[in-house]
Amino acid sequence: MFGSIVSYIREFARREWIHKFLFAKTAPLTTPVYSRGFPELTGKTCTHALFCMMACPAPGAIEVIHLDDGGWEPRIHTGHCIRCGLCVEACPNGVLYSGRILESMFYDNTMLSFSFRIDVDTNRCMGCGNCAVACPVNKTIDAQMSHGGRASTDELLLKVSEGKCVVLHPEKCTGCKTCEQQCPNEAIRVARLLEAVHAPEEEL
Amino acid sequence: MSILQSFKNLVRSRSIHVAYVDVGSCNGCDIEVLACLAPRYDIEQYGIYVHNNPREADILLVIGAYTPGWEDKLQGLWEKIPDPKVAIAIGNCPISGCVFNRPHSYVNPPVSKHIPIAAQVPGCPPRPTEILQAVLSLAPEVFKDYERRKK
Repeated sequence: MFGSIVSYIREFARREWIHKFLFAKTAPLTTPVYSRGFPELTGKTCTHALFCMMACPAPGAIEVIHLDDGGWEPRIHTGHCIRCGLCVEACPNGVLYSGRILESMFYDNTMLSFSFRIDVDTNRCMGCGNCAVACPVNKTIDAQMSHGGRASTDELLLKVSEGKCVVLHPEKCTGCKTCEQQCPNEAIRVARLLEAVHAPEEEL
Repeated sequence: MSILQSFKNLVRSRSIHVAYVDVGSCNGCDIEVLACLAPRYDIEQYGIYVHNNPREADILLVIGAYTPGWEDKLQGLWEKIPDPKVAIAIGNCPISGCVFNRPHSYVNPPVSKHIPIAAQVPGCPPRPTEILQAVLSLAPEVFKDYERRKK
């Protein structure tokens, strides 16, 4: 018994032990590589698709800035960004990166797909054509479109026909919601549908 | 520098008392502050102690998007803290209101409108290491040579 007491005292009187007891620190904490930080730029060219801003759930967290040299660049606002990583996943060009999101998307073969549905309330639509004239997709297809939204071609996204707005090619919509903002009667609505899809395997 | 002042600096560098107040958050940041207390991050090894009593505190951690219930309370709580004191905004909510800052919501961010905020830790929620780093980097700036700077 006496021997065990002596061995205890000898153990605890070691200089090493006393030093550890008084100055013990946990290992310096490092951020792991899989940690999702604030999204950063990869250096790839931004094409102003604005999918990042559409997917972002936090108000005012991401903006796409027009640079002086004519290009575009997404800016993340810390203090607004919740680091969910949806902008990283949504970007079709891989402009942003955060943690291992891009790598895991590649391995898991997943992606976010956007689609847009345009609903026209025929009871409220007055056929003024503001939506069709303001639509930036229509402008690229038919720059000569007349003021009432009437046009001869059927290639347009939407046009006025028989006093009502009709949607001809909903798949051409880019989801900018310009028509919704221009409508004086809240007759046109654009729904943005964001779906996480597991891309089908390539058929051999 | 007087010996008394250097002694005070030494003591204060190892004794930072923290109070935290939740002015209407989702509890996510509260849990991250709580994680700082746990053995994994262990803030007491740096000499930071959590009391949650403003009269004992040096640092106030403000969490949350400032709901109307705090309008008559937060200012009084800030005044109860003895000098030298400092307030740190933890998370996005006290900085911008985060996802709660929508039209027709009742929150009134940022908290810096109501009490002076010295540092902000963005994130939703911030990592415990980020909270720890903010406290540790701010503390010497505020408490070192406090009496000399006050003159």
